[in-house]
Amino acid sequence: MKAAPGWYPIFLREMLLFKRKLLRLGYLFSAMVVPIIYLIVFGFGLGSSLRIGGGNYLVFLIPGLVAMSSMNNSYNWVSSALNLNRIYFKTFQVFVQAPIRSSSIMIGEVLAGMIKGLFASVLIIIVGIVASSANFITFPFIVALLINCFLFSNLGVITGMISKSHEDTATYTNFFIMPMAFFSGTFFPVDRMPAVAKYVMYMVPLTHTNILIRKASFDHEGAVSLAVLVLYAAAFFAYGTYLIRNYSE
Amino acid sequence: MIKVDNLSKSYGSVTAVAGVSFEISDGEVFGLLGPNGAGKTTIIKMLTTLTKPDGGRCSIDGIDVAADPLEVKRLIGVVPQENNLDRELTAYENLYIYSMFHNVENRADKIDEALKIVGLWERRDSLAHHFSGGMQRRLLLARALLPGPKVLFLDEPSIGLDPQIRRQMWDVIRKTRIEGRTVVLTTHYIEEAEALCGRVGILSKGKLVVLDTPAQLKACVGEYIAEFIDPNGKLIQHICKTREEAHEIAKNLADGVTVRKTNLEDVFIKLTGERIE
Repeated sequence: MKAAPGWYPIFLREMLLFKRKLLRLGYLFSAMVVPIIYLIVFGFGLGSSLRIGGGNYLVFLIPGLVAMSSMNNSYNWVSSALNLNRIYFKTFQVFVQAPIRSSSIMIGEVLAGMIKGLFASVLIIIVGIVASSANFITFPFIVALLINCFLFSNLGVITGMISKSHEDTATYTNFFIMPMAFFSGTFFPVDRMPAVAKYVMYMVPLTHTNILIRKASFDHEGAVSLAVLVLYAAAFFAYGTYLIRNYSE
Repeated sequence: MIKVDNLSKSYGSVTAVAGVSFEISDGEVFGLLGPNGAGKTTIIKMLTTLTKPDGGRCSIDGIDVAADPLEVKRLIGVVPQENNLDRELTAYENLYIYSMFHNVENRADKIDEALKIVGLWERRDSLAHHFSGGMQRRLLLARALLPGPKVLFLDEPSIGLDPQIRRQMWDVIRKTRIEGRTVVLTTHYIEEAEALCGRVGILSKGKLVVLDTPAQLKACVGEYIAEFIDPNGKLIQHICKTREEAHEIAKNLADGVTVRKTNLEDVFIKLTGERIE
């Protein structure tokens, strides 16, 4: 009996498609344009007179933009691609009818989403370093970036699987991803929000990415945020795999 | 090889498949014939693990599809009704990725062979979305044949193809039969079912109306038909057991009566009162 082929073919397929998209310059610009607009408006415009925690606002903002960008790119790429492949192009059905385990499909899709998220994040990091002349890359920064890409790629699989149309994915983005991007500590610390809103925002994963990504080294708060992110990632991975396993038309 | 027992599937209040049962032997080319919405594609989707049935069981090579879908997927190749190639990948890349999904050994040789069989080897480096509809159908067939499946499922294999390309598809399908493979195809083209299938199951409104060889199906309703168009423009048909009986009827009817052999559409109309196309 042949062994199941594992996640690599799924990942390779996504990378071949990604390579084709990268050859179109429009992709590079679309991945960078939103964070760079935020950097200009909030960093160089409004932020030039702001200081947070006694430090330069740009140094606060750029790791937040990296977290936001990694979330957006990992999530959107996986969610849109899976939704389109399932509903319109029907290429997802090829995976389902092939002897591949659900967990392998999940891993392949999530790793590909991570690569896309990391690619966009690296572009923002380069722009951020040039713009701020600051070195904000620490060990917790790298851990936060990796787990954020992983976590939101998993969430992308979930919404890609449950959306009934491509418009549905936009609804999830508008109601969950967009508010998270603005209120989870990307542009200002969550502590400055009203008490109720603050507690709500501590329940969403991007807040903990934003906490961890700005740590110079691991402390108690960073460890708690990492634990929350790991729990979210594990839960999303398990649910995404469940949805693929129980897929039925 | 394939056993389908009381299979059923509904979508909300719409019954797509209502308690269908049949068996298919090793090496057989079996056709499911019926109009759009008869339940053909839903049956294929249930047999190929894409749709979970509401009731009943099906097995391939003794393996229960619901209980061990992964093992069933190792036995099957599927050409779906819709083009589900990766349009942004080349013909070769499409087959390469698929061969990895199925752990195909000697990939390069097998891919070259599959592309040659369907006449696409010279276009192996072209993106799939640059292919015509007929070329895409042929590439789908090459992809399905690549792992050497025991059972090949073809859902409307020649839909939308011009007659010449359709006949090329038929030749490839006949070749797979010669290789001893079991083929299950759905079609609403009468001539396709007659040209390819050893046995045909006729479906209407989710139910299997009748199942037999094309010759037997035609024989049981009558092998000849006398038909004419009445003054109101309505097609009047009389199905007869013998040619003599049909000519006798023709003599007693108006001028312009045609006598011809019955086909599977006549069988379908006789049994269900509907037309297929």
